[in-house]
Amino acid sequence: MKRPLKTPQPPGFARRLFGLLAGRAHVDDLLGDMDEWFYENLRHMSLLRARWIYWKQVFSLSFSYALRARRRNASHAALASSSLNTAMLVNYFKVAVRNLYQHKYFSVINAFGLALGMSVSLLLIALFSYVSNYDDFHDRAEDVYAITSIVDKGIEHIEFATAPIALADKMTSEFHAADRVLTIVKEYQTVVTRTQNFAVKTYYTSPEFFDVFSFEFLDGSALALRQPGQVLLTETTARRLFGDEDPMGKTLELSGGALVQVSGVLKDLKKTHLNFDMLMSYPSIVQHSASFEEDWVKFPNQYVYVRMLSDAAIQDLEQYLDAAANRLYTESPAKVSFTVRPLKGLTVGPDLRNDIGEKWEASGFIVFAVFAALILLPACFNYANISVARAMRRAKEIALRKTVGGVRSQIFFQFVTETVLMSIFSLIGAIGIFVLIRREFQSMLVAGASLDLSLTPSLILLFVLFAIVTGVLAGIFPALYFARLNPIDAFKSRVVTKTSIFSVRKVLTIFQFVLSFGFILTLFAINRQYRYAMSFDFGFRKGQIIDVALQDVKREVFDTKFGSLANVETLSHSSGVMAVTVSQAWYHDANRDSVIAAQMYADRNYFSNLELTFVAGQSFPDESFSRESYMIVNEEFLKSRNISPPQAAIGRVYQVDGHDLEVIGVLKNFHYAPLNFPIANFVFRDDPSQYHFANLKVTGGDSYEILSEFETIWKQFPTEKKIIARYFEDEMREGYDTYVVMLKIVGFLGLMAITISLLGMIGMVVYTSQSRTKEVGIRKVMGADVRHMIMLLSGDYMKMLAWAIAIGTPLTVLFLNAMVPRLQHYHASISILDVFLSIVVLLVFGVGTIVLETYKTAVANPATTLRSE
Amino acid sequence: MKHYLGELEELVLLTVAVLGQEAYGVSIQREIEARSDRRITIGGLHSTITRLEEKGLLKSWVGGATAERGGRSKRYYDITPLGKKAVAETRSLRDELWTESGIKLAIK
Repeated sequence: MKRPLKTPQPPGFARRLFGLLAGRAHVDDLLGDMDEWFYENLRHMSLLRARWIYWKQVFSLSFSYALRARRRNASHAALASSSLNTAMLVNYFKVAVRNLYQHKYFSVINAFGLALGMSVSLLLIALFSYVSNYDDFHDRAEDVYAITSIVDKGIEHIEFATAPIALADKMTSEFHAADRVLTIVKEYQTVVTRTQNFAVKTYYTSPEFFDVFSFEFLDGSALALRQPGQVLLTETTARRLFGDEDPMGKTLELSGGALVQVSGVLKDLKKTHLNFDMLMSYPSIVQHSASFEEDWVKFPNQYVYVRMLSDAAIQDLEQYLDAAANRLYTESPAKVSFTVRPLKGLTVGPDLRNDIGEKWEASGFIVFAVFAALILLPACFNYANISVARAMRRAKEIALRKTVGGVRSQIFFQFVTETVLMSIFSLIGAIGIFVLIRREFQSMLVAGASLDLSLTPSLILLFVLFAIVTGVLAGIFPALYFARLNPIDAFKSRVVTKTSIFSVRKVLTIFQFVLSFGFILTLFAINRQYRYAMSFDFGFRKGQIIDVALQDVKREVFDTKFGSLANVETLSHSSGVMAVTVSQAWYHDANRDSVIAAQMYADRNYFSNLELTFVAGQSFPDESFSRESYMIVNEEFLKSRNISPPQAAIGRVYQVDGHDLEVIGVLKNFHYAPLNFPIANFVFRDDPSQYHFANLKVTGGDSYEILSEFETIWKQFPTEKKIIARYFEDEMREGYDTYVVMLKIVGFLGLMAITISLLGMIGMVVYTSQSRTKEVGIRKVMGADVRHMIMLLSGDYMKMLAWAIAIGTPLTVLFLNAMVPRLQHYHASISILDVFLSIVVLLVFGVGTIVLETYKTAVANPATTLRSE
Repeated sequence: MKHYLGELEELVLLTVAVLGQEAYGVSIQREIEARSDRRITIGGLHSTITRLEEKGLLKSWVGGATAERGGRSKRYYDITPLGKKAVAETRSLRDELWTESGIKLAIK
């Protein structure tokens, strides 16, 4: 019985796929069963769900013994040929190789496009496969959990990777389903040697560290962590500090004068979310402070890990933590709750603050995957597109195959084999690109240094699998198309490409160019931001200032030597480098009203040196310093305290860190922080003990000469440390290195996107031009000239480009207008010029390609083209 | 020759017997799912049926098509004498075990 047209049907594609897989086997009853389920399901669920179930059934049956058995039985029948055997596979392979070889031009275009498309995905696969088995190597890794926290302070709601040590102590006595509760305090220590200072990432912890984590010892044992003043080093750190000498038993001096003894060396860390250079015994530092706040609310560098008993349920821990949090924070204004995270999920996971070591956000991977897909899918699509467009040329070949007894599944598999072969061939190119961009890619990642993206056999296997999947993806549509081909039509050259497919094809081509256009415009926009930031008026002087770190040189000694140099105009001191390092503090006024402000210490000359402008008051007084008593604020500070005019602020007193400071001057607003932050409250103070830098304003001489002169003088000081002198401008530029990285990434992706879309375009143009050779010949005989022919052949593609620009411009501008302000608070808006330039670039590439390709056909001599039949 | 039946195999054989004239793919799956309150996949079911057929415990023939199957034919199944024997053997094995363990179970 024929159903009325409107009734929903089971998914035809699934049905055809199943039919194809079944080959000659009799599966009518199975199809009937699935149909029956489908129509029954429709009565009580949505069409989408019913179709989904149909699909699931198709998959279930496809891989079932039932289908295999039926296929086997069918193949015993006469004329059976649907089963895949080696001879057939070899044959597919041969035909595929010959076909690819015969159409070299198209094969190369396709292979190149696929190689480009796959290369970005290879990066993703390599990165993910490397990162995803972090922390697998610990014994009982599956029983280890990290406790993380969510701190709720009114409006602030922040997820931290940390948890209070106090909680761990509580758990040890109250919670018995855990067999180890481990605490770690992370700190940066400085090891002082006679010649150099070394920054050392240090974890304070207890011997249980090695029960929970299985790091290998080269020397010494976990017991060292039982006594105070003992440290364990990693292999690399030991070599950094002692060279080839045996580090065991040696003494290290930490900044602050503490002496510790090396009593063990660990193998270097690999594939773990932990990241430390040195382990130090826990009792040597931690004293519990008395205040609740200190113990339970502020724990920025404390970490808690739990190893559960093998038979314990993790829900017990969760319940315990929920109950504990409820109990503990009833009185406190800040609420904290705790989350349990399995060790395995720590490396790739949600965005937490204050991570203990290396961290890869899952969100980052998703963005990456989207970009990889945006590059890969157009490449696959182009392949499918070109193959189908060339159907006419191959239609006869297929028709002949069918006539002599080839069945659908054979044609299907032959085409899929061809694409898979092609994609594996492309994989070689893709791996080449991968190797080329790997290092650059690693340098862009925050934790890239610890990555090892070298080609291991298992990684290559993954790549090959990926190539096969890509091949099937790109080949399945052309394969289905050819498998359906009617031989009679094909012989009569009546193969029509369905109009619907044509429009889908156009839309997808336009989409590719929209994407390319987006990348080009983004590139221009980011470049504009970068230049904007570089030439931005920060409100202070950037040029000709050299910052020298004082290190352990006395300020007075430094001043006498450097102040007298001919090249040095003026000299001032500060606690940090403006726009690079600032700290924050709470300021209280007489009513105990408090306000948070960024602060920096600087002497009286600093303001004239950096050309900061006073709107009221003056710089710090020039009297010998006895105790801190003055402060200089910015306009924003006044605004937040509702003080105006600026003069009114002079003489007001604020309390900070136990000092009463009087406002002595008000500065015009200036950008003390990178441009992604809006200007907020800022305070200058003048405690000389905080000065770590000298700021020297130099004459505009040769920078190399000046710096080498500085170095010579520095060597006369009684210090073994090396001079650290940087031009202020250079330091600030480094703060905007992210833009350079972004320019690189967007530029690279854009280059990929545009190359792939152009390759796809070339394929299409070549194909249409070739198939219209005769038409062009006739037209030329009738008197048309080359220019008209080019226009005739390229008209459709020009229209597509125009559409791409028409759609791409508003979309990209909208996107950028939403993104740029997030990137940089003070930003340049996208200008018409950027849009115009992007259009020009796209047109130059697009039109150039089209004209070049059509020109060949247009100039062909009609005498030769028309004679060919 | 003795046939050792898997649990699903036994279930399918018995269900086919229960359904009598009306045993085909959909009805068998529906009956099993309704009675045992568990989901089975269509692939799993047909694999089991195929195996039973190969062992000669089930026989099948192609039957009438209906509109709700898109005009496709049904394949009906029936239990063979060998199939009946196999189920019976399985049952007697279980009965034996039940009676012997019954004493211990009764004491509790």
